[in-house]
Amino acid sequence: MGSLTDKYCIVGVGETPHMRPSNRTTLSMACEAIRKAMADAGLDHRDIDGMTSYQTGDSTTSAHVATALGMRLNYAVDIFGGGSSTEALIAHAIGLIEAGYCKTMVIFRAMNGRSGRRMGGQAPGGPAAAATAEGDNQFFMPWGWTTPAQRFGLSAMRYLRDTGCTTKAFAEVAVAHRLHASLNPKALMRSPITIEDHQRSRWVVKPFRLLDCCQETDVSAAIIVTSRERAYDLRQPPVFIMGGTARTLTESPAWNYSRGEIHYVGGNYGRNRLFGMAGISQKDVDFVSCYDAFTFTTIIQLEAYGFCGRGEAKDFVKGGTLQIDNKLPSNLSGGHLSEGYTHGVQMIIENVRQLRHRADDACPGWAEGKHTYDRKAGCRQLKRARICCAMGWGTETTSSSAILRGIVA
Amino acid sequence: MPGQIDYSKLRILPDPDTREWWEGTKQRKYLVRQCKSCGHKFFPPLPACAKCTSMDLGWFETVGRGMIHSYCVVTQPILGAFIPAAPYVVAVIELEDCREADGSVTRVAGVLTNDEAETAIGHPVEVTFDETPDAKIVVPRWRICGVGSDTWRFLE
Repeated sequence: MGSLTDKYCIVGVGETPHMRPSNRTTLSMACEAIRKAMADAGLDHRDIDGMTSYQTGDSTTSAHVATALGMRLNYAVDIFGGGSSTEALIAHAIGLIEAGYCKTMVIFRAMNGRSGRRMGGQAPGGPAAAATAEGDNQFFMPWGWTTPAQRFGLSAMRYLRDTGCTTKAFAEVAVAHRLHASLNPKALMRSPITIEDHQRSRWVVKPFRLLDCCQETDVSAAIIVTSRERAYDLRQPPVFIMGGTARTLTESPAWNYSRGEIHYVGGNYGRNRLFGMAGISQKDVDFVSCYDAFTFTTIIQLEAYGFCGRGEAKDFVKGGTLQIDNKLPSNLSGGHLSEGYTHGVQMIIENVRQLRHRADDACPGWAEGKHTYDRKAGCRQLKRARICCAMGWGTETTSSSAILRGIVA
Repeated sequence: MPGQIDYSKLRILPDPDTREWWEGTKQRKYLVRQCKSCGHKFFPPLPACAKCTSMDLGWFETVGRGMIHSYCVVTQPILGAFIPAAPYVVAVIELEDCREADGSVTRVAGVLTNDEAETAIGHPVEVTFDETPDAKIVVPRWRICGVGSDTWRFLE
């Protein structure tokens, strides 16, 4: 076990609605998400002395948020990055609090991911305008190869060839996550879908169809991390951080196509660190959040983190494995595919709510942990939600993770 | 054949690490970086050798042939330059003369001049070059130039 296992906790979570468009600034959305996270934890703005966020040049900063919310911070650093940053910043929070840099830290992401800057380098002013290929983009953009769907499409295609997997396995992920979204009043896409619906949806980038792709969203989401000693006095049952990894990279992280096996993803390097630090095995995990920018990213990370063997996901996910009440429920909020896209924070938020036994579903007593477990009546709470594994994804080359546990059976 | 790429909507800005590579394409050469210390050949042109970290680097002119390692088919482009070209195939290509003693191989990427129906992993390709309205910039493309022995196609 790691020396810091269970010493730090997630004590507050909050988010804005998932919007398209928000008609709001990222600053305004960040303030709302952080206020909700503080209220959830039973903290106020004077209790927060550390803040961090991640962005791709598309968002506000911790200094702006602290100014707006009247916080006097001892630590404020914003990092560059998208997916895989949430779990990485949880690791930063643990290290910083342990070292005494601050005591209680907010982690947020705020993005107008649909109405503002969209992923993939579309020129400001839309596709009609000229785009500029400079820096890294000199060796992507001139081949018309910029969006995540386009970038990950190449590793997905080779994966299908090497493993004999078909897109029916991708469909299993889409169907499971949509089923969970149907139980989540906050989700953007709530109508259940079938394997056939997935197979009939239009191509975006072969081998990805529309229902393989996540929802571009305007949203902010925030979590609060502090020490176990402080967590015991707060409003919610604490959620303990058992272990994690912070951006384990493959050997060629900037141009994964240029060398190495293109679908040997970053999580393969994180797996033993993660489970070693947490002191548990995959068998102890009750549910997962597995980054679903695309259905494929969930598939390949289930293998990378050892929930099934390499090339075995096609059999592992078959027949609804990832659905609530089945073997390994995944992304219980509906995830990026169906709830909305926050570059990973909302997956941690859902994990926290499940581990507290307080999923915000249709059950009238959810806030007190009273659930019916009747899926037809809209209950989303897992009966057995003691340990979860969060698998973040940046690209094929970049992964972060966290194992969390609750104190409620 | 895919439609024309409208290079007038794409501005390519070489930098001190990449300028000579783009000079190469202008002269219809497909270059990769070669380490003068350990001989490692690599792409894209980064300022150091990933095998030995040497920054004493030269160029290796490849024969401009290789094999399709993977591909994807873009049906919904987002860049104006590529809207008239869609659907188009982006391929990752293993360069024929960049295989090293440890079995590793340098790969590059580019748009095929072929349609999806002609494309398969394992087919051999050769480089071709697209002129652009910017006289300083020539963009490499790849065309299928034979039939591979071990091929795989996405049939869905």
